[in-house]
Amino acid sequence: MMWVVAVWVVLMCVSGCGRSRVGQREDEAEKVNVIRVWSHQGQEAENRAMREIAEAFNAAHAQRGVRVELTFFPDFQYAEKLAIAAAARDLPDAFDLDGPMVARWVEAGLLAELGGFWTEEELDDFLPTIVEQGTVDGRLYALGAFDSAVVLYYDRVLLAKAGVEVSADVDAKGWTWDEFVAACGKLKTAGIEPVAMHMDESADEWFTYAFSPVVWSGGGALIAKDGAEVRGVLASGENVWSLRAWQTVFAKGYAATDPVDPNPFGNGKVAMDWSGHWMARGHLAAKGGRLGAMRLPRVGEKAVAPCGSWAWGVSARAKNTELAALWVKWVTGVETGVVPIVRANGAVPARRTAFTFFPEYAEPPYRLFREQLETAARARPRTPYYATLTGRFAAALRDIARGAEVEARLRQAEAEVQAVVERREEGRR
Amino acid sequence: MTRWEQERGRSAGWFLTPALALLAVFVVWPLVRAGVWSFTNADLLSPERARGVGVENYTGLWEDGRFRRAFLNTWMFALLVVPAQTAGAFFLALWVNRPEREWQWLRVVFFVPVVVAMPVLAVLWTLLYQPAQGGEMGPVNAALGVFGVPPQAWLRDPALALPAIALMSVWQGVGLQMMVFLAGLQGVSKELLDAAKIDGAGAWQRVWHVVVPAMRNTIIFVVTVTTILAFRIFVQPYLMTRGGPGNSTLSLIQSVYETTFVSQDLGRACAAAMAFLVLVGGVAWVQRRVLKEERE
Amino acid sequence: MKRTGATGGRSASLLAAYGAWAVSLVVAVVFLSPLVWMVAASLREEASIFGGGWWGMDGWTLENYADAWRRAGLGRALLNSTMQVVVIGGGGLLINAMAAYAFARLEFWGREGVFAGVVVLIILPVEVLAVPLFFTARDLGLTGGHGAALAGLTVPFLAKAFNIYFLRQHFLSVPATLEEAAVMDGAGPWRLFWNVALPAVRPALATVVVLDLLAHWGDFLWPLMITTRGETRTVQLSLANLFTQPPVQWGDILACAVLATLPVMLFFRWFQRYIVATDARAGIK
Repeated sequence: MMWVVAVWVVLMCVSGCGRSRVGQREDEAEKVNVIRVWSHQGQEAENRAMREIAEAFNAAHAQRGVRVELTFFPDFQYAEKLAIAAAARDLPDAFDLDGPMVARWVEAGLLAELGGFWTEEELDDFLPTIVEQGTVDGRLYALGAFDSAVVLYYDRVLLAKAGVEVSADVDAKGWTWDEFVAACGKLKTAGIEPVAMHMDESADEWFTYAFSPVVWSGGGALIAKDGAEVRGVLASGENVWSLRAWQTVFAKGYAATDPVDPNPFGNGKVAMDWSGHWMARGHLAAKGGRLGAMRLPRVGEKAVAPCGSWAWGVSARAKNTELAALWVKWVTGVETGVVPIVRANGAVPARRTAFTFFPEYAEPPYRLFREQLETAARARPRTPYYATLTGRFAAALRDIARGAEVEARLRQAEAEVQAVVERREEGRR
Repeated sequence: MTRWEQERGRSAGWFLTPALALLAVFVVWPLVRAGVWSFTNADLLSPERARGVGVENYTGLWEDGRFRRAFLNTWMFALLVVPAQTAGAFFLALWVNRPEREWQWLRVVFFVPVVVAMPVLAVLWTLLYQPAQGGEMGPVNAALGVFGVPPQAWLRDPALALPAIALMSVWQGVGLQMMVFLAGLQGVSKELLDAAKIDGAGAWQRVWHVVVPAMRNTIIFVVTVTTILAFRIFVQPYLMTRGGPGNSTLSLIQSVYETTFVSQDLGRACAAAMAFLVLVGGVAWVQRRVLKEERE
Repeated sequence: MKRTGATGGRSASLLAAYGAWAVSLVVAVVFLSPLVWMVAASLREEASIFGGGWWGMDGWTLENYADAWRRAGLGRALLNSTMQVVVIGGGGLLINAMAAYAFARLEFWGREGVFAGVVVLIILPVEVLAVPLFFTARDLGLTGGHGAALAGLTVPFLAKAFNIYFLRQHFLSVPATLEEAAVMDGAGPWRLFWNVALPAVRPALATVVVLDLLAHWGDFLWPLMITTRGETRTVQLSLANLFTQPPVQWGDILACAVLATLPVMLFFRWFQRYIVATDARAGIK
């Protein structure tokens, strides 16, 4: 019987003592109302701001005995970590996730509805794009503290050198695709590299995020409105046409398909930069008055801007939904969350009243960020198949830039996504 | 069988239960589950809603460009590592096969990287391979610079990344295989070697005609184990290149991991895992066959 | 392949010996240089790691270690990893030795069949099973906070087919006469196992423990999946985390790498002889 005792001791050490310790922790947690919060790991400044926001929250709620416990995970594996925790049924109470993923999480029943925690008035203060990205089937599940923007930065001096004029009208509305290509042509003739498109970006998301506006401005879409059908949508005539136009920029050598330099515009090698708000500070510092910014060129009638960013959600299995929502309210509150985090990461504030804290939004390029978010931005599709869609679409864009036949390549991507959709949809019926 | 032996046999259950129960729960049961899931459209977040889809996951594997790439990369890695590591370990074993006490330190030297954890080495070699950037460069480039080799962007160049990782892996693992060969060398008949020497065979001839045939089984064993270990590559590319640049170092294990937790397609991931198992099992089976022929 | 030959003059062989020494020394230095660089660079100030000026007296610092300890939460992580390998090494040893003993020494119906089944499992790499194993662990409540995570890191790896196989081979080679004497004294199966068989295979037991320690100290994929909280991270995960945490501080990363290696190195001298023993046996398989 000796071994029974021995095994028992070992097993107890492994699970038994452990369990009692977990038990204790939970007791403690109940007493002080700890909200477990996860966030992606950004730049050090951003992390520091997040920690300070959490500390301020804890200080403000100390009397109620409420506090948050903040954990960071590296950016590149954050999405997997969330998926693992979800599968392990060990999600934190509140966490941030990438905007386009909200629909998938809602479909899996992992996010709590948050609509009731904000008044109409408060929601009106958020940029419409932020509310849109967190809303699925008319219900609000997530809200972010900041939004994003992609614009066409340009160097006034380099453009002037090549004889490219940017009128006030163009500055406000952006070029048509033909005008954009013509400008590239002039630059190339003048011996200046025309535009950086950041095709070396390793994240698939860059491609969908930055180049969907091309498809949208040509009147097309990535997936049908109900979010469960791509047949005839992804490889539609409009999209083939729009992306053929996009392809010319690479075909004619106006943009590099395999760039090695991550920031050729900043160091003066390239005249224009198809890039995001996160470059604004660096570009301004490097160029000063030479820096200009306009909306992305449009294939069709109307320029469309991309948008979307990290959004905060509350787990459907949160210990206390109300407390978790309290944290989300705090971190998306103007002075408690938005202002400090935007100071740290330079993103576009998600709340209108927050802009008063940032005088640079009266000037370009910042003014343009806000303007296009208010008037021209379109959220990426809200579909449970977003992960598949973005992966396949990005792969197609990479190939098209390198010269693949547009229609055939889009059809292939369409078939791949459709196969995944059908597999899952069948299972659901 | 004596009465006492029967009595002893009866207690076998008690001795076996803990291990067999744990193996059943944590090895056999997951294997069965993976097998079942591989024929369904199971989804990471709600596997209970799975529905059978026949062999679609398996047929779809090969059409999946990423999986195909991962499969080819894994083979490529094995092709780079196995010959280099086997040959390297073999010659190292010949070199360090010196029974004198004052030579003991030499085998320890080659064994040290085996003891260091792979994630540590992956991180270390990422730094060693740093490309030249603004007047700074990693030690590998700096060292090669002494011989006039221009600095390379080792891990960022699609053509160099996999070989660079292979080189690091050979360096890490060669000591282990060396030890196996060293043990095998002790079984090589001294008389045969001396006879060869008297017959005027040179060092090379002795290795090729006496040592290699005598160590046939050991060599087969080392090749098999190294191949299986090479197929299991995951940590190095995951930490050093994240599978890039452009999927050029994406491993099979990473593709299974990402299909599970990024695409969240559990059915497909399990099919990929089973395919991997067939690969590993195949190698082991071939080894057994080859060894058996030898014995007959 | 003894090098010191019987033939040839004394001075020639002496020269050959010195030559061998010199070559060996050079090869050894090159071979170990990455690790030496790791330790040296971890003691350098950030700016001077990739830059020049290595031979000067300035630019050396211990600060990286303090930073790494704090930023990677190494205290907690080292404790987690230590508990992990101790539980697997200790608990697993007993469980596997018992099974191995039964297969080697006890007569029971179906012994060969069951043993063949166990041997088949040796080939199964943990990577194949990781995903379904993750769900099994979840269903058994082995995910979450401290205790649950420690259980999740260890319990699935207590029983190991290879260890059972390996120990069985050693139990088989224990002479039966050793047990017979104890049987005369009226010892039962447990006492035979505990007092006679186990002490007789002590080197093999040490080998199994050492291999488990090494393998699980370096675990990455499984902890990556099973630990869902910051406070349950193992050393390797903390290192990987620090590796990607901006701002990237090479000095901190290297210091963390050294600290993650130190515990294994400290035991290295003690356990190297057991490793040699294993491979000698493994080669025969």
